[in-house]
Amino acid sequence: MSPASPAVGTDPTSEDASPASGQPSPSMPAKGHRSLGNVLERYGLLLLLLAVAVFFSASPVSGPAFRSSANWLTLTANQAVTFAVALALLFPLAAGFFDFSVGAVAATSSVVAAAAMSHHALPLGVAIALALLTGLTIGLFQGVLVAHLRMNPFIATLGTATLLGGAIFAYTGGLQITQGISPALTSAGSGLWAGLPAIVVVVALLALVVWFVLDQTVFGRRLFAIGSNVNAARLIGVDVARTQLLAFAASGLVGAAAGVLLLARQGAATSDNGMTMLFPALTAVLLSTIVIDVGRPSVQGTAIGVVFVAVSTSGLTLIGSPAWVSSVFTGAALLVAVAVASLGRLRKGR
Amino acid sequence: MSDTGPALRLRGISKSFDGVRVLRGVDVSITRGTVHALLGGNGSGKSTTLKVVAGVYRGDPGGVVEVFGTPHPADSFSPQQAHRAGLRFVHQDLGLVDDLSVAANFGLVSGFPQRLGAVRWRALHERTARELAAAGLDIAPQAPVRALRPSDRTRVAIARALQDDDGGHPLVLVLDEPTASLPHHEVDELLEELRRRREQGHTIVYVSHRIPEVLAVADDLTVLRDGVVAYSGPVSGLTEDHVIAMMTGLAAEQAAPAARTPRAPTTAAPLLRVSGLCTAGLGPLDLEVRPGEVVGVAGLLGSGRSRLLGLLAGQVPRTSGSVQLAGREIHHRSPRAALADGVACVPEDRARDAAFPDRPLWENVSAIAFPRYARWWGADRRAERRDAVKAAAGFAVHAAHGEVPFASLSGGNQQKAVLARATWTSPRLLLLDEPSQGVDAMARRDIHSFIHRHVDGHDRAALVVSSDFVELAALCDRVLVLRDGRLRAELTGAELHESAIALAVHQDREDPR
Repeated sequence: MSPASPAVGTDPTSEDASPASGQPSPSMPAKGHRSLGNVLERYGLLLLLLAVAVFFSASPVSGPAFRSSANWLTLTANQAVTFAVALALLFPLAAGFFDFSVGAVAATSSVVAAAAMSHHALPLGVAIALALLTGLTIGLFQGVLVAHLRMNPFIATLGTATLLGGAIFAYTGGLQITQGISPALTSAGSGLWAGLPAIVVVVALLALVVWFVLDQTVFGRRLFAIGSNVNAARLIGVDVARTQLLAFAASGLVGAAAGVLLLARQGAATSDNGMTMLFPALTAVLLSTIVIDVGRPSVQGTAIGVVFVAVSTSGLTLIGSPAWVSSVFTGAALLVAVAVASLGRLRKGR
Repeated sequence: MSDTGPALRLRGISKSFDGVRVLRGVDVSITRGTVHALLGGNGSGKSTTLKVVAGVYRGDPGGVVEVFGTPHPADSFSPQQAHRAGLRFVHQDLGLVDDLSVAANFGLVSGFPQRLGAVRWRALHERTARELAAAGLDIAPQAPVRALRPSDRTRVAIARALQDDDGGHPLVLVLDEPTASLPHHEVDELLEELRRRREQGHTIVYVSHRIPEVLAVADDLTVLRDGVVAYSGPVSGLTEDHVIAMMTGLAAEQAAPAARTPRAPTTAAPLLRVSGLCTAGLGPLDLEVRPGEVVGVAGLLGSGRSRLLGLLAGQVPRTSGSVQLAGREIHHRSPRAALADGVACVPEDRARDAAFPDRPLWENVSAIAFPRYARWWGADRRAERRDAVKAAAGFAVHAAHGEVPFASLSGGNQQKAVLARATWTSPRLLLLDEPSQGVDAMARRDIHSFIHRHVDGHDRAALVVSSDFVELAALCDRVLVLRDGRLRAELTGAELHESAIALAVHQDREDPR
């Protein structure tokens, strides 16, 4: 990423920075005062998560099981793949697009990795590389559709997802690939590293990388600029088509990584089309838009969103609620959270 | 309703946002059958007042909006009540649908005559034709709005706002900057329309930034400053200087546009040399800009003036010709390439092409320069924010702090922030399209002096497109006049005058030279 700024130039602060109007230049604080309401708005979901966790820990019915470390290990390990799929969603979403293919990309990559080991007896490293390459290729394909052929991203990604689902079924015949998966992979999927589920450690590292790219690099800033105003982004020197293409490529790559983690966790490649993975990930990403920088998705917010849904679901199950309760709870939480955020914006505007 | 007394009276109108009082007890009385102008700088509370009167914002408890003698509490006034009370609004964007016919645009507001669920187009056309005729508009109801001239659009919007009630009981018509987007020569037609509506018995509240226009058309005048009424009374006897002084709270000479001291023609090598430049609707064009110059580009809509800027900024591809910047041939295929060569632009449509509305002020200011703060360990956001806030302060951007969302700033402050963004990287060629459109007199004067500050004594120049000839005369060393994509005239020195520019722009096709 080469900066778009010209080679010539000086620091604006070194220039004669007094307004010529003769007025004293207003002394403007860099940051605003953080009021309590502000903090509540930024971290409301996190506080709610803590409240839910405390409630289920304290409840005599769910408490003992909920508090146990076994529950937390399973809970976090189970959510690792969802979190990884959600991370893949973040790149296109930063640029203002929903990518409905991330679940399908993950499913496809897991089939590719499993087939490479099972049907072609390739070593684990090669299988993972092939899976990642598959995701990257699909991402680039969609990037070309959206960035260069100017296709509506909703249609492009939904079409791709449907196509991939069909391809998976054609290849697997609807059967899981269970034979010949490298035990090194499956043991990483269920094992512990330093007392933590290995898969959680891997996803945490992946999240760190995604956070760095989105939050700290020039590329990430350009992505968000496109998401905020694509015309203005072009005029400040963003190569919009290339940046969009890269966003889909990054999404494909991370989606493929999620597929490998899925294979590791399940020990078998699913014949599912991946759509069941998409919706929990979408929920988490949408929840992230009401945390920290309200209105914009983030890695931290997504992590909070994933854990929030998982903790609530686990607690509700342990307390003995029927299975549908957690769906209703999650849906309602999403609606309430987004409604509160919209109300906050409306109130400010009026 | 009583038949005498003011048409509209505001009593003790206050409005607070998040505990900050933007309006502090505004009292205004507007006499029936007059044109009453409402003036004020950006952030004076002018727009907020209008929105309270329209029922869009709820005023703080205690305020009263009295229409034709009937009082309404300002904290529960709704748009529906405003309409029933006899208030009509024409907003700056007019609210017309370009792709529909004039009649359909009338129907959108007043309803479509129907039979068995089908629109009776003929009845609608007849009704609309009557309204247009009553308004003195020679426009077919079937004409698409897209095809209308700007001033006719505004007049159609006015006719639509006053329809059905024409000839009935009088109304209060509120117009928000109706002339802001009009070419200069169409402004007079609109002002004439306002006078005609006044003769019909309507009361007109008229918001504008253009003081000479206000003095020409308004009977009474209210000036807001910092959320309070600074003046409310007759226009007669007031001069532009008085009004500016009331708006700014400064003596008139302090607020007057800083006239450009004419500079001696320099013999320095041109900074920009354009020869044989062509693109669709423009050229072939030859021009030179020397270091330290501010060069204006005048012309009507479609003359190619914005296209010329777009071409130099890398937004429009050229078909042939050459562009040299500081002696080096440049081929800008994108805004990115233009920026890398030191060509930055301030676009005409701020909301569409410059604003990151949801992002903080500081991020908007550093939007071009931010890659400089990339470090191996990440982004040095603290330094970026600090420098951006300093840069904004250097351009007299008024904001509570650096993190307020860009969208919450007034138009003038937004424009100054965009200027701070464009000049941050010290571009050698600064392109500005309508740099002071929709900003108040103070902000405009600041913007002009910032443009001069940018080029004076540096190896830099600015090219300014404006449809405001007063602005061009005050801001520029030299003005180029474009017509039909060709350079038709060049005005300097004593010729550099508002009326001379207007004459050259409107001249017929024969080359005046």
